[in-house]
Amino acid sequence: MSDAEQPTDDGVPGDDEFEPIQVFPEAEDMDLRPGADDCYKCSTCDTNCPVAEVDDEFPGPKFQGPEQWRLKRQDDQDIDDSVMKCSNCMRCDSACPSDVPLSQMHNTARGEYVEEQMDKFSREYVRNRILANYRRLAPLGSMFPRTTNFVMGLSATQWLGEKVLGITGEREFPEFATETFREWWTKRGGAQVQNEDKRIAYFHGCYSNYNTPEVGKALVRVYEELGYEIMVPDQHCSGTPMFANGMLEDARRSAETNVRELGAAIEDGADIVASCSSCSMSLRQEYPELFDFEGTEAVAANTWDAVEYLRVHEDLEGELEGTSVGDEFENFAYHAPCHARNQGLDGQTMEVLAPIDGVEARDVGDSCSGISGTYGWKAENYETSMKIGDEMFDHMEEADAETGLTECPTCSMQMEHGTGYEITHTLEVLEAALVGSTEADSQ
Amino acid sequence: MAIEDDVLVIGGGLAGATAALAAAEEGAQVRLVSYKQSTLRHASGLIDVLGYTPAGEGPLVDPFDALEGLPDGHPYERVGSEAVREALEFFDDIAGDAYDGAHTDANALVPTHGGTVKPTARYPASTAEGLASDDRDTLLVGFETLPDFEAPLAAAHLEAAGAPFAARGVTVRFPGLVRDDAKVTRYAHLLDHDEAVTTAAGETTARDALAETVRGHLEDETRVGFPAILGDDHAAEVRADLGDRLGVDVFEVPMGPPSLPGMRLEDLLYDALQEAGVRVTTGVPVVDYETDGDATRIDRVVVDRHGAEVPHRADQYVLATGGLVGKGVESERERVFEPIFDCHVPHASDRYEWFVDDVFGDQPYARFGLPVDRELRPLDAGDEPEFSNLRAAGAVLGGYDFAAEKSGSGVSLATGYVAGRRAGAEGGE
Amino acid sequence: MVRDTEVLVLGGGSTGCGIARDLAMRGLEVTLVERGNLTDGTTGRMHGLLHSGGRYAVSDQASATECIEENEVLRDIAGHCVEETGGLFVQRPEDSDEYFREKLEGCRECGIPARVLSGAEAREVEPYLAEDVKRAIEVPDGAVDPFRLCVANALDAENHGARVETHAEVIDLLRDGDDIYGVEVRHESGPGKRTHATPGTTEEITAEYVVNATGAWAGRIGAMADLEVEVRPSKGVMTIMNVRQVDTVINRCRPKGDADIVVPHETTAILGTTDEEVSDPDDYPEEGWEVDQMIDTLSELVPILEEARTIRSFWGVRPLYEPPGTGTQDPTDITRDFFLLDHADRDGVSGMSSIVGGKFTTYRAMAEEISDHVCEKLGVNAACATADEPLPGSENMETLEEGMDDFGLRSPVARRSKQRLGSRASEVLETDEANPVICQCEGVTRAEIRDAVSQSGSDLNAVRIRTRASMGNCQGGFCCQNMANELHPTYDEETVRASLDELFQERWKGERHALWGEQLSQAMLNYALHATTMNRDRDPASTEAAVDFAAFDGGGR
Repeated sequence: MSDAEQPTDDGVPGDDEFEPIQVFPEAEDMDLRPGADDCYKCSTCDTNCPVAEVDDEFPGPKFQGPEQWRLKRQDDQDIDDSVMKCSNCMRCDSACPSDVPLSQMHNTARGEYVEEQMDKFSREYVRNRILANYRRLAPLGSMFPRTTNFVMGLSATQWLGEKVLGITGEREFPEFATETFREWWTKRGGAQVQNEDKRIAYFHGCYSNYNTPEVGKALVRVYEELGYEIMVPDQHCSGTPMFANGMLEDARRSAETNVRELGAAIEDGADIVASCSSCSMSLRQEYPELFDFEGTEAVAANTWDAVEYLRVHEDLEGELEGTSVGDEFENFAYHAPCHARNQGLDGQTMEVLAPIDGVEARDVGDSCSGISGTYGWKAENYETSMKIGDEMFDHMEEADAETGLTECPTCSMQMEHGTGYEITHTLEVLEAALVGSTEADSQ
Repeated sequence: MAIEDDVLVIGGGLAGATAALAAAEEGAQVRLVSYKQSTLRHASGLIDVLGYTPAGEGPLVDPFDALEGLPDGHPYERVGSEAVREALEFFDDIAGDAYDGAHTDANALVPTHGGTVKPTARYPASTAEGLASDDRDTLLVGFETLPDFEAPLAAAHLEAAGAPFAARGVTVRFPGLVRDDAKVTRYAHLLDHDEAVTTAAGETTARDALAETVRGHLEDETRVGFPAILGDDHAAEVRADLGDRLGVDVFEVPMGPPSLPGMRLEDLLYDALQEAGVRVTTGVPVVDYETDGDATRIDRVVVDRHGAEVPHRADQYVLATGGLVGKGVESERERVFEPIFDCHVPHASDRYEWFVDDVFGDQPYARFGLPVDRELRPLDAGDEPEFSNLRAAGAVLGGYDFAAEKSGSGVSLATGYVAGRRAGAEGGE
Repeated sequence: MVRDTEVLVLGGGSTGCGIARDLAMRGLEVTLVERGNLTDGTTGRMHGLLHSGGRYAVSDQASATECIEENEVLRDIAGHCVEETGGLFVQRPEDSDEYFREKLEGCRECGIPARVLSGAEAREVEPYLAEDVKRAIEVPDGAVDPFRLCVANALDAENHGARVETHAEVIDLLRDGDDIYGVEVRHESGPGKRTHATPGTTEEITAEYVVNATGAWAGRIGAMADLEVEVRPSKGVMTIMNVRQVDTVINRCRPKGDADIVVPHETTAILGTTDEEVSDPDDYPEEGWEVDQMIDTLSELVPILEEARTIRSFWGVRPLYEPPGTGTQDPTDITRDFFLLDHADRDGVSGMSSIVGGKFTTYRAMAEEISDHVCEKLGVNAACATADEPLPGSENMETLEEGMDDFGLRSPVARRSKQRLGSRASEVLETDEANPVICQCEGVTRAEIRDAVSQSGSDLNAVRIRTRASMGNCQGGFCCQNMANELHPTYDEETVRASLDELFQERWKGERHALWGEQLSQAMLNYALHATTMNRDRDPASTEAAVDFAAFDGGGR
C-alpha cells in the first residue's frame, strides 16, 4: 500500500488536541477494502490458482481477495477458514490484469485469521509456527548435522512428525550441510575482493546457509570473478514462510532486522542480491506491502535477484559467450519458480544459459511445482501439493534431461521428490561456466 | 546496461503474440514484454473477423465482402483486406488442428452460452460440431453449479433465434465436486486427469461418471453440447472420450470469463512463441521510455521490476497493450490517455459525450484508441507519427467498435501481423 | 354501495407501504397501488441515512426530536434493515466553532446522545478521515436499507390481508360529484408479478377512502380531481462508491450545504447530496458537475474518495411541501416536516387525503398519524401497533447470530445473506439443492434469488432491490444473465429475455454517471461480454429479419 492511500498523522499544524495514534496499523488490522476498487471480476486470478484447480475446498483468489474484502466490514471478525488453503504462490498477483493487490489481501486476511480465530494451542498452529520459523530450529540441526540428518531420516521421527505435528511423512527432510555458508565465509576470511564501485550485499536466506551452501559459494565465486566486493550482513529469515502461515508478528520481527541490516549495507554503497527467488520476492514486494519501517522502500528498490543483477549491470551474455561447462552439466529441465515469475524473471535463466556451449536447457512450462514453501509439508496438503506438481513432473520427464534446474529451494525439493532428479541452481551453472570446476577453489 | 533485442513487443495478447511471431519470421530477434495476463481469458476463444458492418448490417455471410466498404481510419481500412487474409493464413498455420473454419470465406454461426448465435470466421475444434448452421438436433447439458449456462433456456433461445434444428437442454449435477463454488479450472482438471470420483454407483472416473450422468438424458440427438469446461491440456482427448462413451459428437459452447477456450488459445500462442525463439518476459510493466536526442525515435523503454528500473532497448517497438479492458487505454474524469507513450487518443472533453443512453447503442467509448497511419504508426493530434519506430496493434487502436462489429480477434490478428512484419523487416536489418 | 376495498393507498414508497401495513394491522381492508416497483419513487433514491436527528438539531428541533424517537423504534422493529453505524459531525479547520457548539447544544436539547471526539479520536474511529480534521460530534446515526424496509412493510401488509399491486399506474380518480370513491389504474405490460390482472388492461378500484401517498407526484394525482397540491420537488444527487471507505456516517459539521454526507450502505458508501428545485419529478437534468461536486467536496473530509472508484450515481426527488403563501425561495429552507391535506376540509372534496413532505426516518410515525385520521374518517376504533410489532425478518433478531450455521456458505457470504434476510435466513437458505453464488460482488446465492422471484415474479429489478444482486462493482455485467437464468423455466424464454434486457438497461442508466477509470474499464468489459461473447446486441431472436442459416459455414468435416 502506498503512502498516498494510508493517511499519516505527521505534523498537523496548530492542532492543539493532537494525540499521536498509530495510523499505519499492524498488518492484521489493515483495511484493504479500497484495493477491491480495481477488480472488474474477470476471474483471471482464479484460472491461475494452482490450488483451486485441484481442490474445490479452496474458493480461489478472487473470493479470498477482492470479494471477501469488499464484503467485509470493519467490525467483522470472521475470515473464512479457507484462506489457510492458499499456498502463497502469488501467481494471482501477477495474473490480475487490473492490478488488484491480491497477495497483500491474502497475507493480511491470513494474518487476521491466525491472530483472531486460530486456537493457539492447536496442533495446526504449533505445527505452522514450527514450519514458519525454520530458521530458529536450523542452527540446532546445523550444530550436529550428521546426528540430525540421521534422526530426521528415521522412520520413527517421520511417524512422529506426521502423527504429532501433521507434517507429512512422505517427504524426506532436507539434509543439513556439515558446514554452513556463513561458517565457510568466515573461515575463508570474508570478502576476497575490495571494490568501492562494485559492491553487493548477499542475502543468502536460510536454505543456502544451512542446507545448500554450495549455492552461496557459487554466488561468491561468480561475483568475485566479475570484480565485485561482497558483504554478508547479519540477517534473519526473509519472512516468506511466516507470511504463508499468517505469522505476521514473527515476520515483522525478522523484517525489522533485515531492513535495518540491509539498509546499512545500502548506505555503504551496496546493492542487495538474493539467490533464492522467494527471498527477493519478499524483500521487494511483501515488505513494502505489509510493513512501514524506516528504509523498507529503499531495501525494496535496491534488491535484485542475483542473476538479474548481473544481467543488467554486466555484459553477461558477452562473458558467457563461448564458455563451456564440465560433463556434470549438460541437459537441464528448468522450472521457473512462481516467485521468480512474479518478478518477471521467468524467461531469464533460459536466455542466460543459451550462449554457454554444450548446455541444453528445456523450460518445463509455467505450472506451479505445488510445494509452495511450507504448504506441501503439511500432511493435509501433501496430496494436493503432488497433484499440482503432476504437470511439472510430467514435463520434466518428457524433457531430455537428467538434471533439474531452478532458483527456489522448496521447488527444488519438490522436483527431486517427484522425479528423483538431482536439482541444481542457475548460479552453480554460471559458476561452472565463468569460474570453472568448484574443486579448484577449496579455500 | 540495457537488455537488447531487434524488436520489442509490449503486450502479450492476441495482437502482441501475433506481432512477435510475425517479426520473428522476418528473422529479427524479438522480445515480448507483458505485464499482467492478457484479456484472452476474458474472451470466447473464437476468431471473429467481421460479423456486422459498423452500420449494423448482418450477420454477414462473407466478411471479406464488407471489408472494402469500411470507413477511413478503421483498422481494417488501414491495413487493407489482403493483409487480413494473410494474417488469417498466418494464424491458420500456427493453430493447425486446434481451429476450424479455414475451408471457406463464409462465417460460421456459433451458439453462445446465452443461447444466441454469433458470426465468426475461425472457431476452436471443440466448438466445430456445434455450429448453428449444421441442422442436426442438439442436446445441451448444463450443470447445477455453473449458473452462467442454463441449458434448457439456451436451447429455447436457439429455437427462438430460428436455428434449423430441434434443441433441448438439461441440467445435471457435475460428478466429483464437493463444493458449489468450484472454479472452471477445477472442472477441467477433473476431466483432464480423469480423476477418480465417487458417485452413487460407486468409485469411477470423472469422464465415465459424466458420460453416465448424461446418457439417460440423451434421446435421438446426435450431438451434445457442454459449457466450455471440457479439459484444458487434454481437451481433445476429453471430448473424444465423452463422445465415444455417449456415441454422439460432443462440442463446447463458449462461455464468458474465465474462458477455457481463451486459455487454450493463449497456450497455443505461447508455445508458438517459444518455438519461434521469441524471448518472453512476463509480470513486469513498461513504465516509461527515453528518446536519444531525436525526439521522434524511441531509444529505450524502462521496465519496472518491483522498483528496480531495467532499460530494454530495441530498434523497433510494437505497442499491443489492449484497450480499456486491457488497460492499454486509461481514463480519468477529464481525459482518456495511453499510459506508456502518452500517444494521442481522440475523445470529447466532456465525459457525458463518451456514451449514449442505450446500453447497446453506438457507444463512443467503445471506439477509444489510437489513430494510426497505414504503417500502423500512432498519429499525434496533427496527424503526424508520434514516433518513427513505434507501431500499434490490436485493441489499443481506435476507430472501431469490436463488440458491435464482432471484429476483435480479426483486428488483433491483422494489425499484429502487419505491425510485426514491418517491425521485423526494419528491425532485423 | 359496495366498494372493492375500505382504504386505497396510492404510492408504494415508504409512506404508502407504512400506511398499508398500519391499517391492515388495525384490521382494515387495504389495497395499495404503485405505478412501478415498490420504492421506485423517492424511497429507492435516498442516501440510506437513518437520522439520529443530528442534522436538524440546529435548524429544525421538532424534526430532530421526532427523528431520534423514530430512530429508536426502527432499531427495534426493523433490526434487519438497519445497521447501527453511528455517525460523526466532523469539523474541518475552516468550519465555524460557533456552529459546532450550536450543533452540540442542539443535540442535547433534542435528546440526541452526543459526544465530542478530538481529531485524533475521530481518525481512530475512521482512519480515512482527513488528517487535519479538527474534531467531531458522535451521534447515533445509522444506515437503513430503504428497499428492504419498504418491502418488509408491504409483505407484512399482505400478511394482514392487504392487496399490493405494483406496475399499476393511476390514470384517473373516480368521482361522484365532490366525492372521490376510487381510481382507475392501468396494469403495465412490463415484466412483473401479476396475480390480479393482465398486462395492458385497466381496472377500476373503488374504496371507502383514498390516501394519496405519492410524494413528489402528489400534485399530479390531485390535478386529476382539479385539486391543487403545491408540492415543490427538489432533486438531490447521490454517488455510490465501490467500497465502504468509512463504516460510520460522516456529516460535515457546518450549516446547510451541498455534498456534506457520506453514508456507509451495505457494501458501498453513498455520497450526498444536493438540493435543487425541479419542475417535473420525472424529467430533470442529471449532470456531471453534480457528481464531480460530491467527489471534490467530500474529499475534503475523506481524501481517499478523490481517487476511489464510483460505480454509479442516481438522483432522487424530495416531496417538499409548504403551505400556500410561505414563499420560501431556497429549497434547503423548506421544512422537512410532513403535511396531511384533508381535501374535504381544504377543498370541499371528500373521500381523499394527500400526504406530502416528511422524511424517510419518520415514515412510521407519519403512517400512524395518517392511519389515525383515516380511522377517524371511517369511524373505526383501532389502535396502532406498528411501533411494537417487528417487521417480517426482524423477529427474534437477538437469536439470529447464535444457533444458526452458515448454510454451507463461506464466511462473508453467509454473514451478508443473514443480514439481508434477518430471521427469514433459515427458511430461505436451508436447501438440499446446489446453491452457488449468483452475484459475486454482493454474495447473493441462488436460494436468495429464487426466494425473491417467488415474492416479485419475473421483474428482475424487483429481485434486485430485494437481494442486492447486480448492485456491486460489475453493475450486473457478470450476473444479470445468471439472475435471468433463474427465472427459467417458471417463465418462458421470451419473458426471461425481456427481463434481462430491462435489468441490464437499468444498470447502465446509473453506471453512465461513473464512466471513467475503473468503471469505464468495467463498462467496456460488460459491453464486450454481452455484445461480443453473447451477441446480445444483435440477437437474431430479438431482431426482425430471419437469418439464412444455410448460407453460413456448416462445418468443414
